[in-house]
Amino acid sequence: QVIASRSGASSILVSPRQKGNPILTNLRSFAWEYSDIPADYVLGLTTCALFLSLKYHRLHPEYIYNRIRLLAGKYKLRVVLTLVDIDNHEDSLKELSKTSLINNVTVILCWTAAEGARYLELYKSFEHANAGAIRGTESKGYTDKMVDFVTVPRSINKTDAVTLVSAFGSIRGAVNARPEDIAIIGGWGEKKIMRWCGVVDEPFRARK
Amino acid sequence: MSSGNGDQQPVKLSLPLKYQQEIFQELRGRDELVVIARGLGLLRLVTNLLHSYDAVGNNFILLLNAEERENGWIGEALAEHAAISASTRARGLSVVNTDAMSVGTREKLYTQGGIFSVTSRILVVDLLSGLMNPETITGVVVLHADRIMATSLEAFILRIYRQKNKAGFLKAFSDNPDPFVTGFNPLHTMMRNLFLRNVSLWPRFQVDVAQALEGKKKAEVIELEVPMSDAMRNIQQAIMECVEVSIGELKKGNTGLEMGDWNVDSALHKQFDRVVRRQLDPNWHRVSWKTKQIVSDLTVLREMLYHLLTFDAVSFNRHLDLILAAHSPPPGSTRQNQSPWLFLDAAHTIFDTAKKRVYIGKLSKENDQDIQVLRPVLEEQPKWAVVAEVLEEIDRDLYFSSAVRDDSNGTILIMCGDALQCRQLRDYLQSMHIRPDGKNEEDEDEKEKEKDGDDGEKEEPSATAMMRKKLREYLVWKKQFGKVKENLFSENQNVINGTTKPASNQNFRGKPAANKRRRVRGGGTVGSAPSRAANGSILASEDRPLEVTALLSEIKATDTESAQKDDIVADPLDDMEDFYQLYEMQDLVVIHAYDGDMDEHVLEDVKPRYIIMYEPDASFVRRVEVYRSSHNDRNIRVYFLYYSGSVEEQRYLSSVRREKDAFTKLIKEKSGMSIVMTLDAHGIEDPQEAFLRTINTRIAGGGRLVATAQPPHVVVDVREFGSSLPSLLHGRSMVIVPCMLTVGDYILSPNICIERKSIKDLISSFKDGRLYNQCETMFQHYKSPMLLIEFDQNKSFTLEPFADLSGSLSSISSSGASDLQSKIVLLTLAFPTLRIIWSSSPYQTAEIFESLKSQEMEPDPIHAVRVGLSGGEKAEDQTFNREPQDMLRAMPGVDGKNIKNLILDMGSIKEVSNARVEELEPSVGKGAGRTIWDFFNKSLLD
Repeated sequence: QVIASRSGASSILVSPRQKGNPILTNLRSFAWEYSDIPADYVLGLTTCALFLSLKYHRLHPEYIYNRIRLLAGKYKLRVVLTLVDIDNHEDSLKELSKTSLINNVTVILCWTAAEGARYLELYKSFEHANAGAIRGTESKGYTDKMVDFVTVPRSINKTDAVTLVSAFGSIRGAVNARPEDIAIIGGWGEKKIMRWCGVVDEPFRARK
Repeated sequence: MSSGNGDQQPVKLSLPLKYQQEIFQELRGRDELVVIARGLGLLRLVTNLLHSYDAVGNNFILLLNAEERENGWIGEALAEHAAISASTRARGLSVVNTDAMSVGTREKLYTQGGIFSVTSRILVVDLLSGLMNPETITGVVVLHADRIMATSLEAFILRIYRQKNKAGFLKAFSDNPDPFVTGFNPLHTMMRNLFLRNVSLWPRFQVDVAQALEGKKKAEVIELEVPMSDAMRNIQQAIMECVEVSIGELKKGNTGLEMGDWNVDSALHKQFDRVVRRQLDPNWHRVSWKTKQIVSDLTVLREMLYHLLTFDAVSFNRHLDLILAAHSPPPGSTRQNQSPWLFLDAAHTIFDTAKKRVYIGKLSKENDQDIQVLRPVLEEQPKWAVVAEVLEEIDRDLYFSSAVRDDSNGTILIMCGDALQCRQLRDYLQSMHIRPDGKNEEDEDEKEKEKDGDDGEKEEPSATAMMRKKLREYLVWKKQFGKVKENLFSENQNVINGTTKPASNQNFRGKPAANKRRRVRGGGTVGSAPSRAANGSILASEDRPLEVTALLSEIKATDTESAQKDDIVADPLDDMEDFYQLYEMQDLVVIHAYDGDMDEHVLEDVKPRYIIMYEPDASFVRRVEVYRSSHNDRNIRVYFLYYSGSVEEQRYLSSVRREKDAFTKLIKEKSGMSIVMTLDAHGIEDPQEAFLRTINTRIAGGGRLVATAQPPHVVVDVREFGSSLPSLLHGRSMVIVPCMLTVGDYILSPNICIERKSIKDLISSFKDGRLYNQCETMFQHYKSPMLLIEFDQNKSFTLEPFADLSGSLSSISSSGASDLQSKIVLLTLAFPTLRIIWSSSPYQTAEIFESLKSQEMEPDPIHAVRVGLSGGEKAEDQTFNREPQDMLRAMPGVDGKNIKNLILDMGSIKEVSNARVEELEPSVGKGAGRTIWDFFNKSLLD
């Protein structure tokens, strides 16, 4: 059969237990298929997910522990995808935090079925992705970077950044500007000037 | 400052007014919160109170929540007091406000005693680590009590203080009644946070205050209503319209929020953008890009309202140029993600009218070589003429009644909003009698009808000279700015040029062709005037710097003009002397900006006979009243200027009204307030809590019965004290051990290390890769690292965006890996054993911590500190200043690895910016050094 041959690597494996879960109807970007697996979803060679609705968890608190036990340490990343569908979630979440520590699972919260499905899709699609996107290696244009840089001190906004750097010609000029010179720029009040000049001159380390 | 009248105190005080003495007596008598109307001399009360304790000696008093300049002011005043009352035991104020002061020094200082103003963040650490013994504290004085919330550090400090020390005094002050009645902090919760039972209210309309200020020594106030010019009124109206539309958009985009008081009226109030921000902040990660844009737009628009009244026409226009440039769309963007107000007709009106205040000119698109098409208008601010008139009146007044002399200096004090305005007024006063010697057709000078001054000038004062100078500067700037903009926003320009007007390339060729600088300057303005008018409807998406045709046709006109102007600039010094001769009989004209409590000093120092309030300011009026009433022999006359029908007027009136309302409400609440029971910080629940703790081990079937006789310990990074969590943990009877941690924020046990991230932190630390590195190091040193994602408030406990974004949820490709959820996914994939704690609030976090700890060993602080330090490094060296570091991270070429070297090798951002490539390379590596250097040295001017 065609479907069987495609199974495995490219699709999300779903346990038949999940039949009727609204998450499945939201799972659109990836092919998925039922399969006999201990977890609810298998999202890659080493990644699996269990689904937990807090509403259900409140009624059957032992359920999730049994399920975790069934996994028997099989996957490296074991996600408990938790749907927050009750208002007083505090106690359950507190308990889950503790559980995650003891039973080696990672708790991910979602608030709607759509969001839950999105998490599943993300896990699947990032199966082989590297962590570049979260290691701060995004590329940006000079202007954006300049604005990011200048607006680090609180109360300095984008307009201020453009004003400042354009008044002094370069970032270096802006960093080395004297307070009196900044004062003649519109929009730069005394407080802002103090902040800016303070920060650029502030030593990185409080004590050397 | 005059020495006090005969008081029973052994020390000399300077509280001349009856109500001040009354408050003082009250404060000496009992612990209370004093809420006093702004301008009635709060700091003077505080200094007198502090001095009365200081003079006795043997005291250890803490001053909490003081701003830096207040520290300076109080320190000075205390020294002065000590000198006046010749008290040998007074020790003055010691300020501890940086980490630079080592632990040993601080400890020594504290044991010596005296009055201390310590930054809250340092103080709380010192209290917790036992550096300062709370039992030895004589008392605490809290300033800005209105800013203290249940979870703030100050409340934490007060709780520690009250836990250990029940006898010491505690006095709190505030001159801002508003927060006590609005929002979530009604009076009694505030009182509970402050551990105080009594409140004392002193509004301006309180009988004693009114009597003291409205007696026979009342200050003479003359109100002068100045009409706005038509252009100003139009602009103001247009801005208001933009504000209204923006607020409407904001409401539409965020239906889930309480927005009752988001309306144009409250938008005038000073705090409005902060109010909006505060309401949105807990949901900031959920609101759409558009909402964020609008919130920042509102700030811009509100500033614009203020600048309209304070800037001169040329500066205002220039400011608008900048705003437009900064808001030009990012490359490839569509209409949807730009500031909505820019698309309004009103926005067009703003930019157009603002320009027309500077110059007008019609330019036909054909190469019309007419010289006179463009001519300066240079509208003057209406208040200038009034100031000139008032000065003249004062002049006359002095001439006729110069015999009457009193203690005042006869100085004229002009008060205005900010330093920029001071400069503007000074320039105006200096140049108002300067005439361009070749008169222009538009500024005909009129001879004055009568004038008593014996100066040579017989002309109506006018700002023509100043405005012309400004215009010239503007033209130079404009030209430069064209370049800058091209550099900064070149991608945008290209995109726009490509789609709309390919012809605009010409202007860059046109510029160098002009052989005279002056011509080019002229070209700058002229060029942009019609370009904007021509495509005003697509104002937002298009701001072409120059246009060739305009450039060529206008050169001659500005050439003759600037020739005239140059003559004026030639001898400004002579004219300045003229100017000073005119007002020789007065000592001086002093121009000052409002500066809160500092104004009292100004009044005392200057001793003015006449005051011109260039801008309305309720608290300053009171300061003058207090000043006048405090001195028998100083006559004073106040001229009070405001634009009629302006935002300025409304704002002034509403601020007075708000304060009055707030006080009325407070008085009501006070009268109905039940007596708050003794607020024992170590409350009743404590034993119960301890009991629960011992039996709580049943969770997860644990069999641990490790002795819980000792309260649980948590090692907390000292940098974490900015958040409310340490305070809450302490509130749950955990022992907080403040340490300088290199790895992690909270150490719960030898295994559990927690990195706390608020949503905002989470987003930013994903962006710059900090979190990835933090996780890496945590895994190197701890068995169970955990990431705590902490939300602000229960109701925003979700990552789901608001309605206007939800469309993108279903498809992954739409936003790529840029949103928060996908980054969390990447993080868990990279660190499969990283545990994530989701907490809906700091309160919840405290509970979770408690449950996590329940079966674990206590952490070892010494080990926690040592972890992550490579050999030879000391924990003390790790005291970093956060903001400069964040700036480093924002720089290209800097990553999680080389940032450490940069911090160690370089001193500050300034140093990095001035370093040569060769100096940078050893620290960060070859490529990165170059990148950093380029980043700083990229010039926008060529």
